[in-house]
Amino acid sequence: MMLLEAKGISKSFGGLSAVSEVDLVIGKEELVSIIGPNGAGKSTLFNLITGHIRPDRGTVLYKGEDITGRKPYDISRMGVGRSFQKLNIFPRLTTFQNVQASLFSAKKINRNIFADSCRMLGDEVEDILESVGLGGQSETLGGLLAHGDQKRLEIGIALALNPELLLLDEPTQGMSPGETVETTELIRGLVRARHISLAFVEHDMSVVFGISDRINVLHQGMLIFSGKPEEVKANEEVQRIYLGKSEK
Amino acid sequence: MANGMNRISWLGTSPRNAFMLAGLVALLVLLPLFLGQSWLSITTEMLILALAASSLNIMLGYTGMVSFGPAGIYAVGAYTTGVFMEKLGIGIVPAVLAAPVMAGIIGFLVGWICVRRSAVYFALLTLAFSQIIWTVVFQWYSVTGGDDGLVSVPVPDFFFEITNCYYFMLAVVSVCLFIIWKIVNSPFGMTLQAIRENPNRVEFIGVNVKHYQLASFVISSVFLGIAGSMHCVFSGSAFPDYAYWVKSADMLVICLLGGIYNFFGPLVGTVVYTVLTKVISEYTMHWHLVLGGIIVLIILAMRKGVVGTLANYWANRKSAAA
Repeated sequence: MMLLEAKGISKSFGGLSAVSEVDLVIGKEELVSIIGPNGAGKSTLFNLITGHIRPDRGTVLYKGEDITGRKPYDISRMGVGRSFQKLNIFPRLTTFQNVQASLFSAKKINRNIFADSCRMLGDEVEDILESVGLGGQSETLGGLLAHGDQKRLEIGIALALNPELLLLDEPTQGMSPGETVETTELIRGLVRARHISLAFVEHDMSVVFGISDRINVLHQGMLIFSGKPEEVKANEEVQRIYLGKSEK
Repeated sequence: MANGMNRISWLGTSPRNAFMLAGLVALLVLLPLFLGQSWLSITTEMLILALAASSLNIMLGYTGMVSFGPAGIYAVGAYTTGVFMEKLGIGIVPAVLAAPVMAGIIGFLVGWICVRRSAVYFALLTLAFSQIIWTVVFQWYSVTGGDDGLVSVPVPDFFFEITNCYYFMLAVVSVCLFIIWKIVNSPFGMTLQAIRENPNRVEFIGVNVKHYQLASFVISSVFLGIAGSMHCVFSGSAFPDYAYWVKSADMLVICLLGGIYNFFGPLVGTVVYTVLTKVISEYTMHWHLVLGGIIVLIILAMRKGVVGTLANYWANRKSAAA
């Protein structure tokens, strides 16, 4: 059984079709990428899956259960974590607290109103920070971290949910080549170490072809191809509308 | 906060801070020895106002919800105690205990509607509801005394002695502030702060934001109700002014003056605001104008409030020295 199955999902914004009739599947422990030109509907697709917006048509199944149109907090609680294209952290909380807040929610202790939260779950928080390469930055305010570190913190926040499915929207956006390599390794490592499934949107083709088990190509809101990296490279249509421009 | 190893868990702070806190409490306990009746009375009012402002700050500073209507809930607390005692002849203990319950219930009903909207729409809804409460208080003569207010709440003689009243308020306010301190430093409090920082992101870590905002609203209301009730006990009266938007504005200004991102902000804000008011009004009848000017200057010069700015200054000095 597939972990996630989106069937024929569509969404238009005021007559402009952002995503149309997309079928997307993500298997257990699969690492898939979603590529496509700007405006192809990649982020919208993530937003449809995670409950940020409701599809006009189609269904989203997670572990066989219909989650179409459910609230983001419900879907997150079921084990779907995500990061965002634009930086989306808690800027005036420390790096430690950013992850801790997420962990409180995951462990359902965020209703506890009297315990002293200061170092609660400290070891687990530090482990997560360590695993995304932010060890030693616990006490820095999230908003004061360097751009690349904030992107990694986002992944840390999502990881604290202990997700089975992780959706990362442009995880290496704005990163230096060195950081990009580190983050790529990080993503690959996460899937292996935690046995999770991961889907990511990415513009950097070296990352996409480097680590994807399967690549999904979106164009003008439609999924035009889905296959292994070498199949994508060999596909003429994909070459014509997308890769031709960015590949030398 | 940085050093979690050295922390008294039940108190939720470091031994050094606990020591300073003990000093402050000792000072407050000894205060009646130094202050005259008039200033002791002003200080008692300050205690109550500080509790009200701290209650508001659970929403404002910790959850990021700008409410323009805390005075409405404050008045619910004051009038519950006042009406129970003056109109229904109920004793002071149940009359005081009923205040946070009533404020909590009204807070739940009002909050349930208000949290459906955010930002400025939320603020306007809270303003509208507080004005509704004001109107009810102002016009319901048979129960609230209308624009005359309740002027002869039969408070026990014990409270007529200002020193007794001061110690009583000091005890109640200290206990309430300690509970608020525990709440904002709990996992629940951390979740509220995450909502303040980024409500949209919080949805994606599995938190139903509206539920938490409502909880914050209700907790804030309960403590506002206690503050209102204390004011009624202190003054032996309750007036429609308690619910008026000007009172809400006072509380907001106090929080901003002191700094909303620090627990002690509203407390320091209360002292600065009250002392400025009293001192300036002794010199000029146009004290509102002068006070307004000073507040504008403080807020412009200290964007994070008095406490926030000082805390930053000390942190910078410390890191510069290290």
